[in-house]
Amino acid sequence: MAYFKDADEVYAYIGRLFEELSEDEELAPKFRKANTIVQYQYRHPESQITVKLLDGEDGQVDFGETALKPEVVMTMDADTAHRFWLGDVNVTVALARGQMKAKGPVAKILKLVPLVKPVFPRYRTLLADAGRGDLLEAA
Amino acid sequence: MKDFYQHAAPTRVIAGRDLLGSTGFEFVKEGAARVFLVTDEVVRGTGLVEKAEAGLADGGLETAGVFDEVPQDSSTDVVDRCAAAAKEAGADSFLAVGGGSVMDTAKVADAVFTHGGSAREQEGFFLMPRGADGMGRPLDIAPLGCIPTTAGTGSEASMAAVIKDPGAQVKIEIVDFPLFPRLAILDPETTRTLPPLVAAATGMDAMTHAIEGYVSTQWNPHQDARSLQALRLIRENLERAVETPDDEDARGNMLIAANLAITIELGSVHAMSHPVGAVFGVPHGVANAIHLPHVIRFNAAGAPDIADRYGDLADVLGVEAGPDAGDALAEHVTELVARLGLPTRLSEVGVPESGIPQLVEGAIGDGTTLLNPREAGEDEYAALYRRAL
Repeated sequence: MAYFKDADEVYAYIGRLFEELSEDEELAPKFRKANTIVQYQYRHPESQITVKLLDGEDGQVDFGETALKPEVVMTMDADTAHRFWLGDVNVTVALARGQMKAKGPVAKILKLVPLVKPVFPRYRTLLADAGRGDLLEAA
Repeated sequence: MKDFYQHAAPTRVIAGRDLLGSTGFEFVKEGAARVFLVTDEVVRGTGLVEKAEAGLADGGLETAGVFDEVPQDSSTDVVDRCAAAAKEAGADSFLAVGGGSVMDTAKVADAVFTHGGSAREQEGFFLMPRGADGMGRPLDIAPLGCIPTTAGTGSEASMAAVIKDPGAQVKIEIVDFPLFPRLAILDPETTRTLPPLVAAATGMDAMTHAIEGYVSTQWNPHQDARSLQALRLIRENLERAVETPDDEDARGNMLIAANLAITIELGSVHAMSHPVGAVFGVPHGVANAIHLPHVIRFNAAGAPDIADRYGDLADVLGVEAGPDAGDALAEHVTELVARLGLPTRLSEVGVPESGIPQLVEGAIGDGTTLLNPREAGEDEYAALYRRAL
């Protein structure tokens, strides 16, 4: 069974994490150096998060339909995304196995991977603060 | 054992002497009937394409057409023209006769020919059309055969292709299982006219694949076997093939070494070489030869288990490693590169110190950075480039 029961749960946790990162004074400028717009298309449940990471511009995170035109599209199960943010997914292995699929200039996203490692504890805290210890244990 | 690894090698490889005459006999087994030949002007001038055509005819296959417009660093517009020409010619299969640029052009042109769209739209990792709502078996592309004319790239047995997008000034990567050619023909006749410096540079590319594949975070026993045997062949044959180009055994063994060594699990040498090629036009094998010793030293100093794996490689290459395997292996590589007549410093190939920030940016964004056994960030790459300067 999928970890998240519907798209709203995906947005409440994974989406919320993207919003926090977008507002983080230290991390946000580093992420925006990627200078791209990336869209995460999740399955089970169907959901979509689009993140604007453009150098010199304010960040933007859209849930569901968006007017942003993504340059990179990452497709995966929402479960895979959840386990990624818990630090349990090796991106290169996930790409090799087809658990994550990437369309567009993937290098722009891959360069962000080392930057997100310090974020993993924050996701755990976010889930714990929301009273979702079940999501921590489920992974 | 490792928690997970994946190894795929579906390309049927035939290797030996005088094989071009049986190109048709072999390719018909892969479903080819009207073959579209992809090559470049230089290779066409050697007479190899005519030999392949004769081989196709001997096996009862037709040559639907020949596309010889592939440049040294192929691009999306060339791929689109190639695919359109194959369609126009009524082809049902592709045969690449050339080096990495020719083979990668044929791979992506085949994908465009089969599935439609443009070369630019093929970009992606494991995104080619599949059954089962995108999660099942990838759909086949038209039969693809490769006859490599350099011993280095290994593209004839890989599922990757890299093509330049001149509009965006970037190189796009396409990686998926259908890009594995169905047939690779390794015949030393194809590298007989290879200039010694090209043989040296492409040979160093093969050596880099073998070494990086062995120490990558994604190392695995299958690739270990291939890397170690590739290095044994390189040890015995690379210098011979460069110094005595009429040594057919050496040239043939280098083709096999390159074919064995190929992997997409690479590391920081490739991460550094890709932007050096894209920004300053340095040939890929030359850039790898320059960067390899510096990355070996950097990685080996990272952890004892990494140094141990370099120690294995030093043993295979006959290097007296002593307590510092990384340093000994790096020194061995530097001396080999110099003996081959290749440059050993970036400044010798036109890379200025002022270019380092741009190169660092490129190296960090290269997917192979994530596969390097020691984490490398901006500071580490800047230091590595400065050492290589």
